Amino acid sequence: MFQGVGSDMLTLAASQPELPGIDDFMPPEILFQGTPFAMNRIILVRFIAMVVILLVLGITAARAKLIPSRWQGAIEWLLDFVRDSVVYEVMGELRGRQYVPMVTTVFLTVMVFNLCGIVPGLNIAATATITMPLVFALWTLFQYLITGIREQGLWKYLKQELFPAGVPWPLYIILTPIQLLELLIIKPASLTIRLFANMIAGHLLVAICLAFTQFYIIEASNHFLAIAGIGWFGLGFALTAFEMFVAALQAYIFAVLTTVYINQSYPEED
Amino acid sequence: MESIAADGGIDLFIPKTYDIFWSLVILIILAVFFGKYFMPKFQAIFDERAAKIQGGMEKAKKAQEAANQAKKSYEDQLNQARVEASKIRDDARAEASHIVADARTRAQSEADQITANAQRSIESQQQQALVSLQSEVGTLAAALAGKILGTQLKDDSVQASMIDSIIADAGQQDAGKPKA
Repeated sequence: MFQGVGSDMLTLAASQPELPGIDDFMPPEILFQGTPFAMNRIILVRFIAMVVILLVLGITAARAKLIPSRWQGAIEWLLDFVRDSVVYEVMGELRGRQYVPMVTTVFLTVMVFNLCGIVPGLNIAATATITMPLVFALWTLFQYLITGIREQGLWKYLKQELFPAGVPWPLYIILTPIQLLELLIIKPASLTIRLFANMIAGHLLVAICLAFTQFYIIEASNHFLAIAGIGWFGLGFALTAFEMFVAALQAYIFAVLTTVYINQSYPEED
Repeated sequence: MESIAADGGIDLFIPKTYDIFWSLVILIILAVFFGKYFMPKFQAIFDERAAKIQGGMEKAKKAQEAANQAKKSYEDQLNQARVEASKIRDDARAEASHIVADARTRAQSEADQITANAQRSIESQQQQALVSLQSEVGTLAAALAGKILGTQLKDDSVQASMIDSIIADAGQQDAGKPKA
């Protein structure tokens, strides 16, 4: 968690808490340094999370039975939730059926990746660099562009998106560039930044609380300050719980917005 | 605290090549896993379960129908049996009243027969009594008359003619009496 301040540690020990910083999100490359395949700590966290997903869900699926066990029931509850409360709720069963696997992938993966932020030892969300949310958002972008072109044809789709009906034509001079920007940049960027910024903020909050806890209880020369350390620990505890909630919430928001954006690619008046 | 301010925060927003590469690798692995294995597997389970439930429901519906059918046929049979029973009862009742009526008429005719027979035997006995009375009265009257007259009627022929005349007188008197 504290690599970012690693070099300062010796000099600053006991005089100042080791506060987290943005360097936490740009950890040094530890494998294949300098190549396009370099790996850093966060990428390793991602791989661990991926392997956990593959193992846990893979074994669950391999052992899945008609009459579900308790664990299978819980997984099925999640799948039902994504299918019914996210996809079918937004676009209905007829349209939604084909997007259920994608939205489920996005939801479960983003949630597990987010939760890595509070797993001891990992201590950073796998979605806490811009890249992971970005590739999810690009997947969403391609999906809604493809859906729009497939459902309406390129021209009709662009016309619907760039020249919204019912607007006086001079306004198109302003509106069309904005619409284009929204279609290609703002939608995926907002998805990306919302998720990644949430994870960064969450990590910083929790890490700051725990850094102060560590500083006041263990490192500070004045042991009176241990009381303050207990306060910081309580706050860190509460924020960790909050992070769990945020992890699920952000996954839900990402999944819902993905569904909404895809749904917008369908012709407006059916 | 310096570290937050250190380095341009803008670096956070610039994806690194290796990061993009590995993120894509991970995304593709996960998407393939979900799309080709996990979701189809669970979809198959859901479909199978739905089919089972539907099949079970249809089976239950069929069983229900069969039960209804059985109940209906049972009730029909019961009704039929009831109708038959009441018919049998009616028949029996009619039969019984026939038998009673028959018995009654037979008894009546027998009684009539007996009465008639009795009547006849009374009449014949009366006749017999009358005949025997006639002969006895004759003898008696002759004896009586003999005694009264003090005459021994020796001659049987006289005796007989006398008796006859007396009877004839008595007969005439008998016949004449109701007219008087």
